[in-house]
Amino acid sequence: MAVAAAALAVGQTLPPLEKSLTQRHIDAYSGVRVRSIHTDEAWARRKGFRTTLAQGMMSTAYVSEMMTRLLGAGFVRGGTMSVAFVKPVYAGDRLTVRGVVKELRPEPGGTRVVVDVWCENQDGITTAIGTASGTAS
Amino acid sequence: MTDFAPLTYDALRIGEEFVSDTMLVTPEDVDTYAFAVDDEHPWFSGPSPFGGPIAHPTFAANQALRLRHSRYVVHAGLHAKMQFEFLAPIRVGMRVRSRGRVIDKYERRRKQYMVTEFVTEDETGTPLVRGQFTQMLIPA
Repeated sequence: MAVAAAALAVGQTLPPLEKSLTQRHIDAYSGVRVRSIHTDEAWARRKGFRTTLAQGMMSTAYVSEMMTRLLGAGFVRGGTMSVAFVKPVYAGDRLTVRGVVKELRPEPGGTRVVVDVWCENQDGITTAIGTASGTAS
Repeated sequence: MTDFAPLTYDALRIGEEFVSDTMLVTPEDVDTYAFAVDDEHPWFSGPSPFGGPIAHPTFAANQALRLRHSRYVVHAGLHAKMQFEFLAPIRVGMRVRSRGRVIDKYERRRKQYMVTEFVTEDETGTPLVRGQFTQMLIPA
């Protein structure tokens, strides 16, 4: 159930999402390929990584889930996202996806809800950061 | 026939355009994506406010991200930035394809990047998702 704009306030913290990334999740996301830093551990090591990496795009899916939980159809149609991937996410990592309401902006047909979003790994290191928005009625 | 070339910074041209193959959005693909990102929202498998099951909003992002693979052999790369505008839901049963254009390439701190703008459309050409992404090239 999407939240109404009147129930939101700037500075409000969204319920965090917890995600454990297994190699099986990465394989399902990326498709298993040889000579891939996502699904070929030997190749990932050869490229200088300690093991296989999750695709950065998986973090955008997590942000999308958080925003859809918040705004429902108001994110699925009319949502936006802008994210920078600042640290690698490895197979076996646990991510926490966080969001804080940054802005509530009236627009025709509703209120644009802008959220600061970021993902942290199990060591508290930010792996992705940006903003996402959608509309609430 | 496509002649594939290794992707290098020098080979890449600003303005270069790519088109993906068309993909039928099947229930199995939507289910696999939901598993991959650990998000089993009921709209992915049942009724939704859009009249039937839909895919995750980022479902077709890999189709866009892999556009350069339609012409190049990509040794390895890292995704640096991603922007989306979700214009309309991707519905199960649609046939979607992505088109992209390289809008910039640059070097920063001895690393090489390419920037691509993209749109994912349904079979009628209606845009569903629009955006741009920045990818770092990892040399061979």
